[in-house]
Amino acid sequence: MKWRKWNNILHRDLGYLCVGLTVIYVVSGVAVNHIADWNPSFDVDRREVAVAGVTPAELATPDGVHAVLVRVGLGPSYRTTFPTDSATLRIFLEDGVVDVNHETGIAAVEVVRPRPILRQANFLHLNHAKRLWTWLADLYAVALGLLAVTGLFVLKGKKGITGRGAWLTGAGIVLPLVVLWLYL
Amino acid sequence: MRIPHATAALAVLAVLGTACRPAQESSGTSYGEPLTLADTTQLAAVLENPDGYIGQKLLLAGTVVNVCEKRGCWLELGGELEHQTLRVKVDDGVIVFPMSARGRQAVVEGVMEKIDLTEEEAREQARAHAEEMGEAFDPASVTGPQTIYQLKGLGAVIAE
Repeated sequence: MKWRKWNNILHRDLGYLCVGLTVIYVVSGVAVNHIADWNPSFDVDRREVAVAGVTPAELATPDGVHAVLVRVGLGPSYRTTFPTDSATLRIFLEDGVVDVNHETGIAAVEVVRPRPILRQANFLHLNHAKRLWTWLADLYAVALGLLAVTGLFVLKGKKGITGRGAWLTGAGIVLPLVVLWLYL
Repeated sequence: MRIPHATAALAVLAVLGTACRPAQESSGTSYGEPLTLADTTQLAAVLENPDGYIGQKLLLAGTVVNVCEKRGCWLELGGELEHQTLRVKVDDGVIVFPMSARGRQAVVEGVMEKIDLTEEEAREQARAHAEEMGEAFDPASVTGPQTIYQLKGLGAVIAE
């Protein structure tokens, strides 16, 4: 049948077109599914370092801040500082922050590094790019829909939508309905 | 003249890449809606009398002291006075502030709002915040209902 030929051509070519973004969305989808357990885009390394004897006067000068940063094992350069409370000075670095508490003598170091691949995948998947990407992602969604529908009719006969395909398609529809029935 | 497929594909990717980049202005990177107000309000004045600004659209400037780590859905803006910050909350996913904004100067426009929390709500919010920041949470630290003042952020420009 002629319509099936065009159906299969559409399914094949959309499949080629969508495979790259689908893999990206798969990776990001799993990563952000577990956002309660981890930060899917950034690796946040926290540690505490003793900086006994550091004084408010020392923290009030750039040289003093440089010295504290060297003591906690970080480079001397920093962006700026901000006193977050009467005992704590937050030092902003290019890739993190250091909270120095002169009362406890503890520096809480937080270094943030983007997770390679995941950061970029999440950027696209969660549409942080906005602008044109919003429309491209919409087109991708439509293409996925077409891919799904055309996929139903690729084969005919016992392995097509009138046979085995009907059962598997039905299972795929029933599964989310069961979850909704259980949880909603 | 025939353009090789690879060249055409690269050209398309370059155009897409440019179109998808956050808007760069001479003063920094823009997030959300364009800023409409010309005059900034002193953050210290807002924090001194927050009730007087409820419902008002404000333009605030200051240092980005903190950013929501997981979703980029809020930032804390530090003003002219030490220890004083105001949370700028944006709708999840609509604006995403990057963690690299910490320590940068920002100008933020939004509407001042007041949220009254029951003790239970306040405890849950403190727990979620502590978890997000990787800090220990002591339920006893919340001893009663709380009132939160924050700016519902609409747009921002963060300096590079």
